[in-house]
Amino acid sequence: MKKHREHFSAGAYGLFILAFVGTALLCVCLGSVPISLRDTVACLWNGLWGTEIPAGIAKNIILNVRLPRVLNVALCGAALSLCGAAMQGLLQNPLADGSTLGVSSGASLGAVIALALGVTGASGGVMGMAMGFAFLSLLLILGLAYALDKSLSTNSIILIGVIYSMFVSSILTLIISFSGEKLRTITFWTMGSLSGTNYGHAGLLSLFLALCGGVILGHARELNAFAMGEDNARHIGVNIRRVKLTILIAVSVLIGVCVSIAGNIGFVGLVIPHMARMIAGPNHKRLLPASLFSGAVFLMLCDLAARTVLSPIELNIGVVTSLVGAIAFVTIFYRAGKGRDRGC
Amino acid sequence: MSRKTVALFLCLLLALPMTGALAEEPAVVVTDMYGREIALAAPAQRVVALTAADCEILCALGCGDALVGRGEYCDYPESILAVPVVQSGAETNIEEILALEPQVVLMGDMAQSRDQVDMLEQNGVKVVVSNAEDIAGTYTAIRMIGQLMGKDAEAEALIADMQATFDDIRAKSENTSKTVYFEVSPLEWGLWAAGKNTFMDELAGICGLTNAFADVEGWGEVSQEQVIARDPDYIVTTTLYYGEGPTPVEEVMSRAGWEGMKAIQSGRVYNADSNAVSRPGPRLKDAVLELYNFINGTDAEEPAA
Repeated sequence: MKKHREHFSAGAYGLFILAFVGTALLCVCLGSVPISLRDTVACLWNGLWGTEIPAGIAKNIILNVRLPRVLNVALCGAALSLCGAAMQGLLQNPLADGSTLGVSSGASLGAVIALALGVTGASGGVMGMAMGFAFLSLLLILGLAYALDKSLSTNSIILIGVIYSMFVSSILTLIISFSGEKLRTITFWTMGSLSGTNYGHAGLLSLFLALCGGVILGHARELNAFAMGEDNARHIGVNIRRVKLTILIAVSVLIGVCVSIAGNIGFVGLVIPHMARMIAGPNHKRLLPASLFSGAVFLMLCDLAARTVLSPIELNIGVVTSLVGAIAFVTIFYRAGKGRDRGC
Repeated sequence: MSRKTVALFLCLLLALPMTGALAEEPAVVVTDMYGREIALAAPAQRVVALTAADCEILCALGCGDALVGRGEYCDYPESILAVPVVQSGAETNIEEILALEPQVVLMGDMAQSRDQVDMLEQNGVKVVVSNAEDIAGTYTAIRMIGQLMGKDAEAEALIADMQATFDDIRAKSENTSKTVYFEVSPLEWGLWAAGKNTFMDELAGICGLTNAFADVEGWGEVSQEQVIARDPDYIVTTTLYYGEGPTPVEEVMSRAGWEGMKAIQSGRVYNADSNAVSRPGPRLKDAVLELYNFINGTDAEEPAA
């Protein structure tokens, strides 16, 4: 048998970057308001070099609305997909995702509490609370799982995550019932929207993606060990609890930031890693970067559809990702089930 | 034993023609906005109103005292805040309503279901449904509630007053090609805008303006790019202000990429009372007056600036 190289070659990375940049350009060129390719490119070019751009609608739409949104969407997609891949590897469970672990729900709860208490000044309060609650949820879930089962076994974490999500959703309904005049704000928030995202958000997302994503990518070797089973990982000298904790913290922080900026976007973290696995194989040194790039590309395309299909109306991006994601998920599992037995 | 039976029989015999007579000539017959006929022996004395607009209409007709229960979102006028609150919408609590012993329940058709109506009627409570979707529908609702309460003259006077205001403003406003964009939430939550067949659309028409999103049916989350490209002359936001952070108007004025828009440059951004412009009740009159003053107030200042 031919030996696979563990890492992608520089050429493969080139292809990924090409696909990413190509999709990003496509998404910036297309939108609800038609703007000619020449104007778009002129805006981007001048914007990039900081030269003067003739004021006009094109400049405002491309540089202030479309570009920041595409950037945010790409970063969210990359982050969510990377988190999904990391959790699926870590928990050896093809169903692991920010939502199944309860981290996304925890983040939503934090954001809604911030809104209900009125600490909304900037979106700082909401984001801080979302991150804090994502992290606290994680501690709570891990703590409970640890109390039940000292080895932090995979199934107990997932089970507690699902129960926790249900618990949180009832608390959310409770808060909404008591929210009185804030009802509208909270309802709108839970529907989630990418409309208001700006360069500031993109900057924050890049920062956290670089930090937490770096940590996750740096643990590719350990994730490979986990894929062979926790016992095997322990035998080859992986500090199971430390690695688990590090990765789960990175994941929860990253998901907290994504939820506070874009709301709860389902299926990206669940489906994209499976697609990436079909392209790149199960080795995390290849799987993680592949998930990162394909998550960004996938979410940018979903957002493009959400922005343009019903123009001037915008669809919620979650509607698009769930529609596409659910179908893709079933297809992938059907194929995988036919090919080999996948115990889950 | 047999004497008792005979007495009961006689009572029934006596009672029959009486109820018959009542059924033949009820003092009040109301046709509700579902086309159902509701008959009452006398104008209603005890009413539960589930929608905010119906509460406002009742009070405007001087029947605030007849209100024995209100839906959870009924908050105007202040005098009704002491009235017990009942759940409305899908969670309508039939028990709560029955405990208040109303003769009539006024409900909207938005979040209510047919089952709820049937259950109330089975328990001897008359249900009158209102579903005003435009100003004409609001008049119908006012007239209907007036009949129900025996306040026909007051209802006609209220309608005439509203009509006079609308006519006056329509006459004063010339039809310009100027456009207005209505939104209900800050940018963060997505731009939910009022399209065709909303009260805001109708009020804009009375003031001689065109809704910038007349191609959207009802309410919809519109694309920010479209708002910038359509460049409306006026922006009206109904975002509620909680007294912290930027006010809704400041928030609109500070949006990135909106600087070049006509409404932003001339400061024609206005925070309207969300309840007045969206409830099919008597305050639509106030809403149109406010909108008119906003449009013309800023117009009048323009030459000086």
